[in-house]
Amino acid sequence: MIQEFTDVVPSFFGMLNQGPLTLTIFLHTIIILPMFWIYKQEKARLNQEK
Amino acid sequence: MANKNVSVWTSIPFWRRSAAWVTGFSTILLIWLTFDTIGQISMGTDADLKKGITKRVPAPTVINYHIDYKMSQKRGHEVPVIGKKEPFFGKEWSPKEAKELLHLGKLTVQAKNCMNCHTLLGNGAYYAPDLTKAWLDPAWQKGGPMQGMTGKNTKEEAMAEFLQHPSKYPTHARMMPNLGITPKEAKGVVAFLKHMSAIDTNGFPRNFLKTVDQFKAGGTNAH
Repeated sequence: MIQEFTDVVPSFFGMLNQGPLTLTIFLHTIIILPMFWIYKQEKARLNQEK
Repeated sequence: MANKNVSVWTSIPFWRRSAAWVTGFSTILLIWLTFDTIGQISMGTDADLKKGITKRVPAPTVINYHIDYKMSQKRGHEVPVIGKKEPFFGKEWSPKEAKELLHLGKLTVQAKNCMNCHTLLGNGAYYAPDLTKAWLDPAWQKGGPMQGMTGKNTKEEAMAEFLQHPSKYPTHARMMPNLGITPKEAKGVVAFLKHMSAIDTNGFPRNFLKTVDQFKAGGTNAH
C-alpha cells in the first residue's frame, strides 16, 4: 500500500500520497479515532448523571 | 452503571465536541498544507540550476538550458530534464535579464488573455491546445513543420515569428487570431513557454510525444 517515495520535493503529505488512498485513509483514521474517545467520555458522563 | 439506557447519539455535548474536534483539526491541517505547498511550488535559484538541484519550478535562467521531457521509470511518467546550455535568441541571459524577460512574457500572456482559448498547466479554455509543454512540441523542432513555415532556423525564433503573425500560418482548423504581439513581447512569451515546459507537473500532460517521427505518424500532442 505504501510505496517508495518518488516525488521531487520531499514532503510529509507527498510521502503519504504515494499509494492509492493512503492519504485519505490516514486522515480519516486520525480524525475518526479521537471521536471514539469523545463518545466513551460522553457515555460515561451520561451514565453518571442518570 | 452498566447497561443503562443512555443515548450518546442524542446528546448535544457529544456532537458539539465532535464538531469542534473535526473543525479544529481541519483548520490546522489546511494551514499546514498551505505551508507545505509553498515549499513545493517555490521557484528555484540560478545556483540550484548550476548545481543540478531539481526543483519543481526552476529559476528563470532555465531558458539558457536545453529542456527535454523523458520517461522516468522510477516515477512512472515523463519528467522535464534540464540538459546542457544552449543559446536562447542567440545569447545567454543573466539571472536579472531572464527574470525580466519572463515577467514581460507573463504580463503579455495575461494581457492578451491566452487562457481565453488555451490552457496553461491545465487551467483555461479548451478551444486551443494546452501550452504547458508547447516548447517541447515536435512541430517546432528541426524537421518539424513550423520552422520551415516561418522560415526561421531556431525553435525560439520560429515561435516568436508565429506569435507576431499567427493568422499568416495555417496550423489548425481553428486558426489563432492576430493579437498585436510586439517582437519584444513575443520573445517574452517564448521565454515564458520555455520556462513552463521545465516545470515538473507530475507527468501532465500524459502521453506527450516528443519526436518528429512520432508526430508524423499522427500522434497527438497534448491537446
